[in-house]
Amino acid sequence: MAADWEEIRRLAADFQKVQFADTVQRLSERNCIEIIAKLVQEKKLDVVHTLDGKEYITPAQISKEIRDELYVNGGRINIVDLQQIINVDWVHVENRASDIVKSDKGVQLVLGQLIDDTYLDRLAEEVNDKLQEAGLISVAELCKSYDLPGDFLTEELLKRLRKLIQGEMDQYNRGLIFTPAFVARHKARIQGLFSAITRPTPVSSMIGVFGFQEHLLYSVLEELVNTGRLKGSVVGGRQDKAVYIPDIYSRTQNAWVDSFLRQNGYLEFDALIRLGIPDPSSYIKKRFKSNKLLFLRAACVDQALVDQVEATVEEAVKSGTWTDLQPILPSCLSMEDVGMLINQAMRNVDVQSLARVLGGNVVVSEKFISSCISLFDDAMQQKAHKEVKNNPVFVITEDDMKQVSVLAESAVLSKKEKREAERRKKATEGSGCVKAGGGGNAREIRIRKTKKKGRRDEDSDEETGPSQQNRSKQTEAPFMAQEEIVTILKERVSDCPEEIVSELAEHLVRPLTKAYQEVLRTVFMSSTSSPSGANRKKSMKDLQEEITNLYNNIRLFEKGTKFFSDETQIHVAKHVLKTVCTDVTNILVNFLAADMMMSVENPSSITNEVRVKILGKLSEDTRGPLTKLHNCLNGKTIEDFLTNLESCAEVCGFMLKKGDKKKERQALFLHRQALTDQLKETDDPALVLHLTSVLLFQASTHCMLHAPGRCVPQIIGTLTGRIPTEQQQQLSVYQSLVVKQLVSQSKKQEEREGEELDEEAKSVRSQLVALTPQVKELVLSQRKTSVTED
Amino acid sequence: MADEATRRAVSQIPLLKTHAGPRERALWPQRLKEEYQALIRFVEQNKAADNDWFRLESNADGTRWTGTCWFIHELLRYEFRLEFDIPVTYPDTAPEVAVPELDGKTAKMYRGGKVCLTEHFAPLWARNAPRFGLAHLMALGLGPWLAVEIPDLIGKGLVVHREGQGSNQ
Repeated sequence: MAADWEEIRRLAADFQKVQFADTVQRLSERNCIEIIAKLVQEKKLDVVHTLDGKEYITPAQISKEIRDELYVNGGRINIVDLQQIINVDWVHVENRASDIVKSDKGVQLVLGQLIDDTYLDRLAEEVNDKLQEAGLISVAELCKSYDLPGDFLTEELLKRLRKLIQGEMDQYNRGLIFTPAFVARHKARIQGLFSAITRPTPVSSMIGVFGFQEHLLYSVLEELVNTGRLKGSVVGGRQDKAVYIPDIYSRTQNAWVDSFLRQNGYLEFDALIRLGIPDPSSYIKKRFKSNKLLFLRAACVDQALVDQVEATVEEAVKSGTWTDLQPILPSCLSMEDVGMLINQAMRNVDVQSLARVLGGNVVVSEKFISSCISLFDDAMQQKAHKEVKNNPVFVITEDDMKQVSVLAESAVLSKKEKREAERRKKATEGSGCVKAGGGGNAREIRIRKTKKKGRRDEDSDEETGPSQQNRSKQTEAPFMAQEEIVTILKERVSDCPEEIVSELAEHLVRPLTKAYQEVLRTVFMSSTSSPSGANRKKSMKDLQEEITNLYNNIRLFEKGTKFFSDETQIHVAKHVLKTVCTDVTNILVNFLAADMMMSVENPSSITNEVRVKILGKLSEDTRGPLTKLHNCLNGKTIEDFLTNLESCAEVCGFMLKKGDKKKERQALFLHRQALTDQLKETDDPALVLHLTSVLLFQASTHCMLHAPGRCVPQIIGTLTGRIPTEQQQQLSVYQSLVVKQLVSQSKKQEEREGEELDEEAKSVRSQLVALTPQVKELVLSQRKTSVTED
Repeated sequence: MADEATRRAVSQIPLLKTHAGPRERALWPQRLKEEYQALIRFVEQNKAADNDWFRLESNADGTRWTGTCWFIHELLRYEFRLEFDIPVTYPDTAPEVAVPELDGKTAKMYRGGKVCLTEHFAPLWARNAPRFGLAHLMALGLGPWLAVEIPDLIGKGLVVHREGQGSNQ
């Protein structure tokens, strides 16, 4: 027992000893982690822990492991794979990888993959194998199969070209690698193919048909052409439109062009384009540097042809005739080109001012033209005289007047002229000079010369007096219509083609019209402007007398109207206005128009429109009153007219004397006299009735009457009671007979009917014939009495 | 219940054979001898694993044990006194270890600083009685309790590290 306790004590002591013994100085795992973390934190240790945290690894070890892995994987490894293998954080792997790439030139980082030179060498060898097999390899294909970027591959392959890879890369298209054998084969094919070509061929179509490598083809082709192996040239660079033109083709082409030019004296651009020459003009320039070719719009012409044209033109000008160039010109030339050519020729010969081109290809000398103008001289003079006589209003006329009178005149005239021309032509024929030229021409030329002088004067005139010119321009009277000129010319120069004649006529219209104007003016001046000074004064006096007379007559007529009822009065007044009053107005207007060289020989021919026209040209102060007067003519009362007339006369410088009794009586007498004279001469029953009634009226009322025919019944009505009844009865019988006759006449016109009516008319006529002298007697006898009475 | 390391440690502690309490005069020395041998073995083991964490000594007849235990948290050492008596019914009943310093600071403790081990430890002990001894008590009872409670108490600020406490002797 005691031994036990002893042992227990000993054990307790052991226990204490064990407890106080030093603990082994050993770091536990967690302490290690803590220490390392502390060290890393304080940057005293550079280690990286693995992803599972169980291991630490130094960067150097990572680098080493990366290299090892790279080697194991044949020189190419993805960084993502590396990270899984090494099992450290991605960042460290990437850093170390980029460090390696930086430090080692044999290793590259491409698309997140580490690639070293051994891998690339092997790749190059593989590529070489493939290349030798296929002859051609495209980088794009390699890119796909090796999953590497094209630029990188191209660069790496380029480095190993001719060392590891037996082949070459196309200079222009770096995407292709081929073997010399392939190139040689290709070259041979190209050489053969292009040697066989004899006509221009687009290179692109060759590529399509024979399956050439486009860029290889171009470079080979260029080389072959440059070395002279292929006789030809490539036009259009390296694009799709590149065309290979064999020398043999261009040689034949040139030969053709040369011979064509030599034979025909011209080259058509279109023809060259058809031959396949894209820019004919520059081609010709290059080809025929020494030849003096004249370039036109669509062709070019040889100097010889130009010379020929020149000679022809010169001859035509010298001989004063015309010439048609059509036969000597190539038919293919366009009108425009012909024009250019002829112009050039004319410029060369320096006859531009002496000749004219008509109808595109006919050269007409000015001499010839002037000779043609002189053909019309006589006709012109005659026409001018006639015109001045008949229609001095030509100055004022504008269209209407022209159309109304001038055309009518000219129609007659032209006929006459034609006849004349014919006659003349016959004369020349008779003298044995059918063709233009010779003696006849010489004469015409002389005329032309004098004519020219006159014309020049006229020109200067026109320059000095622009206002005059303006007027003359406005009122140009045409000489002849173009067609008439054509017909005359045709007869004169029969061998000309039609269109030339018409064009010539077109040319002539203006000078002829101008000349005609001149002639017309001189004729007119000589005829009208002569009565000047005293003559004019005299005419003024006459006019005043005339106007005064008319004025008084109108007043008397007005008095006469008072005897009638309102309606008849208006009728009569209107009649007076339309006749006598219009005359007065016309005289006044004409007088004013004379001041402006617009006067008319016979004032009564002035119509309403002409009057308006003249009024429009008058000066302001005269226009107003005259316009009023003119408007009064369409009114209903004579009084208005009279007042207006008075003011107008004042404006125009006339004195209107109101007639005294004596004058009035004189007027009455004159009027009656005139009427009776008329009555004596006439046989027309209606007129007899009219005159008789008017005379009876005057005799009974001592008032002048100027009434229209349809007012006769009313006049007879007013006469009742003023004349003896038997006279009255006689008149009414006569009147009824006249009416019957008029009715039957109008019926006849309408129906042209049977005998019955005819017979009736015959009886009426016989009765009328019987009665007429009696009725006449009524007045004529009365006149005597009345005269005696007076 | 305990972690893997503890389990391994416990498995290497020799099991006791003698079923005897302090009352049984004849067999108690035998038992006490085995207790000491087990403790020595356990401490040696701990020291070998750099995991020494307590000191113990008993009175002459081996019924009252006192000592210290410590816990290292965030590189700081916290040391506590500990004491317990061998109950009369030992080894059927486990001794009640007391840490007087922590009395009233945690709910997992009986009055007087007796560590509350019953819930998990008592059934384990009862299953293994009489083969478990004081070494097992320390390894499976106090050790885990400290590992759970002390960081908690430090976090709550109930246990504050005292300067100079770190010197363990």
